[in-house]
Amino acid sequence: MISFIIRRLIAAVFLLIIVSMVVFGIFFILPRWGGQTTYGLATEYVGRNPTRSAVLQMIDQLGLNKPLYLQYWAYLKAIVVGGHYGTGVNSAYCPPPCFGYSFKNQQPVWPAMVSDIPVTLSLAIGAAIIWLIAGIGIGVVSALKRGSIFDRFSMTIALAGVSLPIFFTGLIALELFSYKWPIFPNVQFVPFTENPALWARNLVLPWVTLAFLYAALYARLTRAGMLETMGEDYIRTARAKGLPERTVIFKHGLRAALTPIITIFGMDLGLLLGGALLTEYTFSLHGLGLFTIEAVQNQDFPEIMGVVMLAAFFVVIANLVVDIVYAVADPRVRY
Amino acid sequence: MAPLLEVQDLRIHFPTDDGLVKSVDGVTFSVERGSTLGIVGESGSGKSVTSLGIMGLHQGTSARITGEIKLDGEELVGADPDRVRELRGGKMAMIFQDPLSALHPYFKIGDQITEAYRIHQPGATKKQARQRAIDLLGRVGISRPSVQVDSYPHQFSGGMRQRVMIAMALSNDPELLIADEPTTALDVTVQAQILDLIRDLQSEFGSAVIIITHDLGVVAELADDILVMYAGRVAEYGTALDIFGQPSHPYTWGLLASMPRIDRARTTRLVPIPGTPPSLIQVPSGCPFHPRCRYASQTGGRSQSEVPPLREVTPGHLSACHLTAAQRTEFWAELSAGKVREDTREPA
Amino acid sequence: MRRKTGVLAAVGVAVTLTAAACSSGSSSSNGGNNNSNTNAVAFNAGVTGTVNASSQKGGTITFDNSSAPDSTDAGNTYYAFNLNFTRLYATPLVTYKASTGAGGDQLVPGLATALGTASDGNKTWTYHIKSGVVFEDGTPVTSQDVKYAVERTFDRSVLPNGPTYFTSLLAGNAATYPGPFKNRAKNLMGLTAITTPNPTTIVFHLKQPFASFNYVVAFPQTAPVPPAKDKGTNYQLHPLSTGPYMFQSYQLNKQYTLVPNPKWNPSWDPQVKQLPSKIVVNLNVNANDIDNRLLAGDIQVDQAGTGVQAAARAKILSNPSLKANADNPVTGFMYFFYINTKVAPLNNIHCRMAIEYAANKTDLQTAYGGPIAGNIASTAMPPTVKGYSKFDLYNALSKPGGDIAAAKQQLQQCGQPNGFNLNVAYRSDRPREVSSSQALQESLASVGIKVTLKGYTSANYYGTFAGVPNYVHSHDLGMAAGGWGPDWPDAYGWGWALYDGASIAPAGNTNIAELNDPAVNSLFLQLEAASSDSAQNSIAAQIDKKVMQDAVILPGVYYKSLLYRPTDVTNVYVQTYYGMYDFATLGLKS
Repeated sequence: MISFIIRRLIAAVFLLIIVSMVVFGIFFILPRWGGQTTYGLATEYVGRNPTRSAVLQMIDQLGLNKPLYLQYWAYLKAIVVGGHYGTGVNSAYCPPPCFGYSFKNQQPVWPAMVSDIPVTLSLAIGAAIIWLIAGIGIGVVSALKRGSIFDRFSMTIALAGVSLPIFFTGLIALELFSYKWPIFPNVQFVPFTENPALWARNLVLPWVTLAFLYAALYARLTRAGMLETMGEDYIRTARAKGLPERTVIFKHGLRAALTPIITIFGMDLGLLLGGALLTEYTFSLHGLGLFTIEAVQNQDFPEIMGVVMLAAFFVVIANLVVDIVYAVADPRVRY
Repeated sequence: MAPLLEVQDLRIHFPTDDGLVKSVDGVTFSVERGSTLGIVGESGSGKSVTSLGIMGLHQGTSARITGEIKLDGEELVGADPDRVRELRGGKMAMIFQDPLSALHPYFKIGDQITEAYRIHQPGATKKQARQRAIDLLGRVGISRPSVQVDSYPHQFSGGMRQRVMIAMALSNDPELLIADEPTTALDVTVQAQILDLIRDLQSEFGSAVIIITHDLGVVAELADDILVMYAGRVAEYGTALDIFGQPSHPYTWGLLASMPRIDRARTTRLVPIPGTPPSLIQVPSGCPFHPRCRYASQTGGRSQSEVPPLREVTPGHLSACHLTAAQRTEFWAELSAGKVREDTREPA
Repeated sequence: MRRKTGVLAAVGVAVTLTAAACSSGSSSSNGGNNNSNTNAVAFNAGVTGTVNASSQKGGTITFDNSSAPDSTDAGNTYYAFNLNFTRLYATPLVTYKASTGAGGDQLVPGLATALGTASDGNKTWTYHIKSGVVFEDGTPVTSQDVKYAVERTFDRSVLPNGPTYFTSLLAGNAATYPGPFKNRAKNLMGLTAITTPNPTTIVFHLKQPFASFNYVVAFPQTAPVPPAKDKGTNYQLHPLSTGPYMFQSYQLNKQYTLVPNPKWNPSWDPQVKQLPSKIVVNLNVNANDIDNRLLAGDIQVDQAGTGVQAAARAKILSNPSLKANADNPVTGFMYFFYINTKVAPLNNIHCRMAIEYAANKTDLQTAYGGPIAGNIASTAMPPTVKGYSKFDLYNALSKPGGDIAAAKQQLQQCGQPNGFNLNVAYRSDRPREVSSSQALQESLASVGIKVTLKGYTSANYYGTFAGVPNYVHSHDLGMAAGGWGPDWPDAYGWGWALYDGASIAPAGNTNIAELNDPAVNSLFLQLEAASSDSAQNSIAAQIDKKVMQDAVILPGVYYKSLLYRPTDVTNVYVQTYYGMYDFATLGLKS
């Protein structure tokens, strides 16, 4: 088991390095293939006023005339030791980890992202808890009472949940529960450290909106998994041993049905941590998703690069954790 | 002394969208303490459904069960499900055909055995249960049981897994052990070992065994009594000696004749039973075997219309067939000599 | 200017602005709102008077903005709502009177004791600063701080956004002064056109006579900035306040919070009030959401100030009790599209004229909000500007669905008979610009002009994209959506920044069409030299006509906005110059 974890860790590190190369490639190599000149490329990184001298300086700074591996090295180096950008009043020191400096916003990318992480984290984890409980719970009950009214009803709702886009359910939720009936007025992010009660209350609508989509998915998945598992021979053996039905369902059945769901959950959570774009946009929550949208709208390359790396990092970590958890759950996977 | 298990006119029907499936339709037999009953028949004959019915494993399905199943005098049909559950794994235990899929892949085999043990021995501590598991593993022939007790099913071979299943079934000293095709999924050499094991354990623990199989060779090894089932009904029932020595039903003849025998010349043709087992929704009228029976024409049309009752051939040897005893003796003699009658009708 | 809002000119107003501006030295006598009309709650009550007049203090007023200000640094902003809002923490030398109607276009003293004293034939302007004015940290404000505030705006690489009047009007080394950031030792206080004989006097020396100079000084660029505490582009995170409020916190792109400035003295600017105990501004909030929050009472003000979107508009107009809380003022500004003169094939005037004819003006009006959003425009200046004359060169009024035949003729003449490809820039967080750009795309398609829409955020639209000529050229942005209000209510105030060749700037450019027509340039000069009203008006009309002949703007509507005032907000009225609610007088009813 230990060797399994170590191997996975090493693989994760390799994966992160490859991701950084791909991200680097997208921003520094692809544009060239599209015909972008060095000058043009540097202009995208300079701030509001792309004077010739500023652009030339940026070329120097990013080493855009140097060989690719040196550029990549400069990029990596900045992450570890930080870097200086600009001159004079515009000069700025970007402390490590330095994922670049956004001239359009006059701030290093990393602190701007970090300040958005708590919002996305609150949103993602809160919604995750809700959708796991609701989705798996409904899925189990539906599977056990297959064909019943509950089963048909819940699977229909689940189909709706999976099909309806978040900006639709989110807007309806806002319209009904924030504006029409002020049960959750003024949805705005309040930091947990500032006021936990208000933090939770203001997040209820976004949580429920996000969780509705995923709960629906997980209900269907759990139901399918449970149905399959409960038809397995070892369930018959468990009953033959004389175990109470509850033990058969939960210890023998659900546990086996849940392992594939763990994998999916890890992926979903990893992706969400990179920013629940639609939900954050609908509810105006300043998390990584909104950060990404603004960065793309402003064509702020350093910010886009930074958030891509961060999102990729979350996905790789999530995958690693999922692999390890899966190995803990299913002994057949450990070697 | 009353039999350990008495099954009387057991019927297990499943209502489905396509019709009522009569998986078991009037089965009667009994098993004495310490003896072995072999139940043989083709797929779909109702043998597994019968054994699951004895264990009460149709609980929660749509099965409709009528008839009587008395375990040590206690009626199980219609009994309180919790009572049946108490007996299940305790007084009566079952092992299944495919030991890899029958064991839970996530739990150590030791834990799966202790689980079976502790549910029926509430006073047992974890340590006691673990020791019991180790003992059982040793008893069924697993080497280094104190180490293997922490292994996972996928780390064992097929034969070893079946031994584990047997250990699990025996953990509570059951008086009745039902083995449903225990060797079908195993190699022939391993098969022999498992059968030996079952026989040894039976004599050691004194449990009755019901062994369900389609393989007459297995039955010949182990069984004291044999029940031949066809289309959910009893075709023939008697001691092993009766069935092998003086088989008294065309279906049994077919089974025996279609079996390769090492004591016959290799050039003797195998005579398979023509046709396929009937649908259990549309069981043929009269004798369910009549569409495939070479001798159906000899009954003067009664095979098509009348269900043959289970009649005594000799004391303890029953057969459900319209042919007279004399006819049956004659036809069997012909068959075992390798001849086939000309005036018998080939089945349609 | 103020790309967004404009001046409310009441009907029949004919104020001689130059005369009023330079000769009137009267300051407003009573503190606070000079508009003595108080109106009961009713539709358009805020247009003619103040609703919910009150001096009650306390409470938190929340502003929501669908984007973000171009900068919170008063010296680096040009949005009307921000010229309005910055008065809460940055007091310029002179300011506008807190009044509806004609009064709202009048200048009154701010940090200065009186409006400027002109001498040397309107080429020299002298102001005296009130005594005892300090920054929020207690440091006394001197005339040097005002000089520095103006000086720093000369460096467009650091502060690209504000108006460029000082750079073009001042004498001395103004043409070459690089600003105090580069080579600070040499350039600090180095702008020779501004002199400070003593700590409370500041003198501006102009290149040529400019009668409207008080209007230029009314921009927040003259709000003092202490040189020692300036942080260049980062000064916006916490500008030192001379107004009733000061910064408490600022999370870039998310939120900033203001609290009362304890050092403030109401006599420094009698037009503003210090009522709420907290002012919160939320940035980058979903635009349609803002209207919902406003109607639900979750927030008090939409900081953008241009009115509610289509969905809320329908709700408000159809519900009498909501309508009573609404105002529909003429804002004095226009929505339109710039047509660039450098991006091919628009460098050929006939291609531009084809666009003028082809566009479906009715569809554009519908996209802006329909007739309640204003009348279809056919001129380069709105009716609220002095000297407006009505004319219609491209049949916008006679054929509001578009004149396809004439358009096709123009296309022939410019050598593109089957149309051409065109990129149109717009602000994607402005639903009105989204719909009007789409309407434009559809109507131009009918003559074969294939439009690709390019959306940008408002916060960077002028500073980084449409307002940067290099960017416009390299990305072939032939047209750009825009809205404009006059920098001050005459033809120069409206049009110089839009149409004069001298106003073209490398960043934060407002002459997005890059029009450099010598005839137009000389007309502007004549305008500021004109002595009589009638002469000014006639020159204004000529400018308007010539600009339309050059086909550099596709006029949209003379905009009327629909504003909503929640019932718990006090002292609400439409300030004429800003064309929206005065942000600096608001309070909260408890």
